[in-house]
Amino acid sequence: MGLWLLFVLGTLAWVVSRQTASVSLAEALAELRHQRSVDEAEHAELLRRIRAGESRAVLVPRARALGLRLPADSEIVILPAPPAPERP
Amino acid sequence: MTGARAVVRMRAVQAAFGLAVLVLVLRLGQVQLVQGDRHRAAARAERTEQVILPARRGTIYDRNGVTLALTHDVYHVGVAPNELADPQADVATIAKQLGLPRNVVRRQVRRAYGYFHGPFTSTQVEPLRHLRGVHLSGELVRFYPDRDLGQPVLGRPAADGRSASGIERVLDSLLSGRDGRAVVLRDPQGRRYESPSRRGAFPVPGHDVFLTLDAGLQEIVERALAEAVDRFQAEGGDVVVLDPRSGEVLAVASRAARGAATASAFTAIFEPGSTAKIFAAAALLLDGVATPGALVWAERGVYRTGRRTIRDEHPHEWLTLRGVIEQSSNIGIVKLTEPLAPAVLFGTLRDFGFGTPTGVEYPAESPGILKRPDEWSGTTKASVAMGYEVAVTPLQLAQAYAAIANDGVVMQPALVREIRTPGGRTVYRHVPEPVRRVVPAAVARTLRDLLHGVVYRGGTGQTAALSSYEVAGKTGTARRVGPGGYIPGSYTASFASLFPAEDPQLVMVVKLDDPKQGYARLTAAPLSRTVLEQVLGAKTGALDHGRLSDRRGLSLPGVPMGAGTVPYIVDWPPPASEPADGARAVPDVAGRSLRDAVRHLHRAGFRVRLDGWGRATRTDPRAGATAAAGALVTLFAAASGPGQ
Repeated sequence: MGLWLLFVLGTLAWVVSRQTASVSLAEALAELRHQRSVDEAEHAELLRRIRAGESRAVLVPRARALGLRLPADSEIVILPAPPAPERP
Repeated sequence: MTGARAVVRMRAVQAAFGLAVLVLVLRLGQVQLVQGDRHRAAARAERTEQVILPARRGTIYDRNGVTLALTHDVYHVGVAPNELADPQADVATIAKQLGLPRNVVRRQVRRAYGYFHGPFTSTQVEPLRHLRGVHLSGELVRFYPDRDLGQPVLGRPAADGRSASGIERVLDSLLSGRDGRAVVLRDPQGRRYESPSRRGAFPVPGHDVFLTLDAGLQEIVERALAEAVDRFQAEGGDVVVLDPRSGEVLAVASRAARGAATASAFTAIFEPGSTAKIFAAAALLLDGVATPGALVWAERGVYRTGRRTIRDEHPHEWLTLRGVIEQSSNIGIVKLTEPLAPAVLFGTLRDFGFGTPTGVEYPAESPGILKRPDEWSGTTKASVAMGYEVAVTPLQLAQAYAAIANDGVVMQPALVREIRTPGGRTVYRHVPEPVRRVVPAAVARTLRDLLHGVVYRGGTGQTAALSSYEVAGKTGTARRVGPGGYIPGSYTASFASLFPAEDPQLVMVVKLDDPKQGYARLTAAPLSRTVLEQVLGAKTGALDHGRLSDRRGLSLPGVPMGAGTVPYIVDWPPPASEPADGARAVPDVAGRSLRDAVRHLHRAGFRVRLDGWGRATRTDPRAGATAAAGALVTLFAAASGPGQ
């Protein structure tokens, strides 16, 4: 009878500990998901700022303020890439 | 007697207890066995909740992997004031994190339940997550890093009763993924925990889509169009840029002065006017009715045929077919096409794609208008030759010009370049699809030569000319149609161009609706030039600079060509030591690296042409000689030994 009682109590404790561990893991998972969501939000915000920063609407006026301008087509010279070195 | 009554009383009590136990057992049986399922479900409903896990919508990228649209979490914030631990401090934290005035938050918190719709980002609400009394409800929303870039094409997913549009609509089934479901546990405070013992279905994110658009080129085109619409006080306009070899749409911009954003480049039609004359010329060449040198008397600007009078903007006398295209002579093209059978002209235009939708991945694309020859009136053939009584979308016109650029083969336009699963496996990749050969390669070359003349042999497209890389193109200024017929003084100005003229990499159609300056040579053609000039100087993959340098023959014979480019912004004005406009000495750049030598010559105010590769050896004019500002200096270079 005592052995049976011990067995039942042991089983119950095992189930409870598993459930507790699972709930903790689920909480940790939810936390990770949230962290990922925070990272994605930051990523999206940074993307927006980068795109705004590198847009011509921002760059061209600043370049003009520095005394620069977009080159005319006659001022663009395309250099050919150097020939690949010959392999022995 | 007393004992007997006591026994009876005892029996009665026993019976009552027995009955009560029986009732309890019966009730227990009813609750456990008969109503067990109902109560079990009610209990479960108290402790658990079934939730839908929305799938993350796929991301849309441009051809180079630049993000155009993505999905992320946002939150709405609820506040239960009676649960706040320190209302004063908590109000301050909430106001700071949500970026709201403190009195607004305080006002909400005075209510039974405060609510801030937002939406707020995860970053904003992160410090509020563990604040007692603050309840967050999240949702996935679509986010466009550059809100306006390519917006009419991208469209919007369906939301809040609004139907989907654009690419978001066409590819909705692929982008949207599959929602999951889960059972969560709820504690007495209503907080949710994932239930470890109840597995649901995981949400499956949508596929990622790579478009054919080039974000850099798209921005150039959109800005140039917006400026042109403002500058020319036009009602609106469209620009389409295609890669003629693959049919891929590299950029498409549509703008209305009233601010409406619709992809009219795909859906709105217009009479192309003179930009369609090149297709009448194609029919003439194909049918052998005329050669580029065929002469026609242009009637000094006024030609009466039947009851109709046809006029040219500038009077001409004798013109060749080449001259007709270069000068955009209505009379010339009408007289040259007189021997042509209507079916031949119709067939050529049809083969170039007029009157049928291109099949691009966009909803509600217009097929344009091209009447069958049996529906033509006596004047239709002349009208069609001049680009009237036929209507096209800017995309159709670009597709037709792309066929000329592509040695006579019409390509299917495409907006979608690649589709990948969330795991990164490619499930679709665009393969260039030839639709048909419409003219032989030799005829296409002749047509390109005619278009080159429009820009460089005194034609109507001179204002589109670039000085270093040649453009071919055709202007079109067509009267606009209103409810009561043609509107006096109102025109559609268009310019279709091939860049570079030989071995074209880009085909661009620019259309402006009712610009105040009217003619295409004053509006649409300069706009094309502006775009091309910016594309040349931009770091965009839309243009293969290696092929451009090849076109210019910059290398020594036998030296392989690469894709090295030097687009840079030069100091301007040049150093004040030089007179601004007068003659100046050519600097000595011998021995310098090519890049350095070019920079020196530019700074001295000269244009540069390269001959060879390696280190600079000499210039023509030679170093020390004087030359006018802006003069072309040829820079000779040679390889100076191994390893250099």
